[in-house]
Amino acid sequence: MRAGSQVMSGVGAAIEVRGLHVAYGGTKVLHGVDLDFAPGSFTALLGSSGCGKTTLLRSLSGFVPVLSGSIAVGGKDVAGLPPEKRGMAMVFQSYALWPHMTVLQNIGYGLKLRGVSKRDIAAKVSSLLAMLGLSGYEDRKVTAMSGGQRQRVALGRALAVDPGILLLDEPLSNLDAKIRMTMRHEIRAIQQRLGVTTIHVTHDREEAMTMADRLVIMNAGRIAQIGTPEEVYDRPNSAFVANFMGAENVLPVRVESGEGPATIAAGEARYVIPRERDLALPAGEALAYFRDDVASLDAPDAAPGEDLVVPGRIAARSYPGGLYRYRIEVAGRQLTVDHAIRHEPGAAVGLRIPLSRLHIFPAAQASIPA
Amino acid sequence: MSISQRQLALLLIAPGLALVAALFLYPLSFSLISAFTGPKGGVSLDAFRKAWELYSGDVLFTVVIVLASCSFTGLAAIIIAGTLTLGENRWIVGTLKALYRWPLFIPFIVAAQCMRTFLAKNGLMNNSFVAMGLMEPLQAVSFLDWRGIIATFVWKQTPFVALLLAGALAAIDRATLEAGRNLGASRLRVLVELALPQVMPQLLVALVLSFVTMLSVLSVPMMVAGSQPTLLTVDMAFRINAYGDYATANALGVITYLLSAGAAIIYLKRGMAKESAS
Repeated sequence: MRAGSQVMSGVGAAIEVRGLHVAYGGTKVLHGVDLDFAPGSFTALLGSSGCGKTTLLRSLSGFVPVLSGSIAVGGKDVAGLPPEKRGMAMVFQSYALWPHMTVLQNIGYGLKLRGVSKRDIAAKVSSLLAMLGLSGYEDRKVTAMSGGQRQRVALGRALAVDPGILLLDEPLSNLDAKIRMTMRHEIRAIQQRLGVTTIHVTHDREEAMTMADRLVIMNAGRIAQIGTPEEVYDRPNSAFVANFMGAENVLPVRVESGEGPATIAAGEARYVIPRERDLALPAGEALAYFRDDVASLDAPDAAPGEDLVVPGRIAARSYPGGLYRYRIEVAGRQLTVDHAIRHEPGAAVGLRIPLSRLHIFPAAQASIPA
Repeated sequence: MSISQRQLALLLIAPGLALVAALFLYPLSFSLISAFTGPKGGVSLDAFRKAWELYSGDVLFTVVIVLASCSFTGLAAIIIAGTLTLGENRWIVGTLKALYRWPLFIPFIVAAQCMRTFLAKNGLMNNSFVAMGLMEPLQAVSFLDWRGIIATFVWKQTPFVALLLAGALAAIDRATLEAGRNLGASRLRVLVELALPQVMPQLLVALVLSFVTMLSVLSVPMMVAGSQPTLLTVDMAFRINAYGDYATANALGVITYLLSAGAAIIYLKRGMAKESAS
């Protein structure tokens, strides 16, 4: 191998996961995961704590034994191989740098294991450090570096071996907000430049949306939805995904679709859906999910137009900046709405929600209470 | 701090200080004075001259035996603690975990007695080899000499060092070990290149403590290896029991003390160098 002045990378490898079951002790954590990763893609595994996203990443990297199922990298099943034989490089949440080594030794360790000469290691590390904005830090002890610098070194260490696959286990969660923003863009830019297949585990929705080409939303050991950030955000396929992606307001509605045009009823408010609007709505009792920022406040008796207007009362008001945030009591529930105009608490208002921004799911499926 | 507060502070530590003075400082200085006192009184190095004439070989023997025991103890402890930390076979790790601490609770004298029956010419070890057909009865040799002392020391001290080492290994960030595996290092390389350097201070402490413990054991050299050369503890006991020669015994005691002080200084120096570096 020749390590020149330019940081080179192998082209990202493809991964196929089929029927992956993983258990810790007697507790099943992953219940049959099927997932493909295209070469060079950037996928974020997103979910709340305990959903199995980290377990999925660790079973890919070989640190968690697989109960059944296959993990194929470039067509070869690696599920039975030890971590050191899988050709995946991982960046850990705690950085996991070796405190007894310098930056050069940390980044060069993987190359040393591969029998690369000292001169070539130094050249490669130097070009990586240039890419990471850490030129000249070779002989620095990693214990004498800041969090952001350490995470860059950890990234450099993973990239030094030209991995086909890069695994990121919540790499930004220990950094402060400002550095996190910068690192998001840097990691994304480096990934695009090197074309390495990247899998990023995070519980931060915004981080996943801004960095990844594709989101995989996980819930209780299963995949809840796979799609581009737009697809998952705008067209969640389940109440869980809608709620997880920030549609936290829940309004009970009733969908009636008989002979005539379908109607949506929320309390006293009714909306007749024009025939030409092709909305696949579940019939009967349902729950409508929407985000704080899609609704607005209007007069209680305002003409609905294209929207659903639900009468309610302002229970509380706060000012987080830019907009007023209202707690509105509607049909016995409290909903949060952001609106530019100041209203007094106690006032009767009409909550106006564009129909297209409502995510409606059958009440039986939506187990999440408001 | 006002004067009255200082006096109060002294008063508070007085019982502890008195205890240390009576039980530790007084006997120590008494034996030091005795070591440097000539037969006719007055300061003299006679006791040291005599001790060196008679026992210089044993001083060297003691240093070699204890250093060798420490090295083997360190090695055995690294193997045990490494297996406990990085082992993947649950059955092996579980069994090892349950068994390895046992010698901690067995006194040196009992350990020495066990080794006598185990390592003797017709002992359990040789008999087992003969029974297994690995050895002819005539080939059996006794290990009750310097090898027996080392074997007993290592057997007795390994659990202690392994306990401290396994604790230290368990406390390091596991991700640092996983990062090594992830980049392609075998488990052995992870242990030697990534895990051990992080717990070197703890290993060193455990070995220095073991060194000092081994220096002070009387029962093992006495029971396991009766003949010359032997460890300094046996010589000290002999000077006192056979001749009532406290001066020479105390001189040997001072030599032992200097040896363990040497180990302590090496440790302290390393610790200070580390602190100033970081």
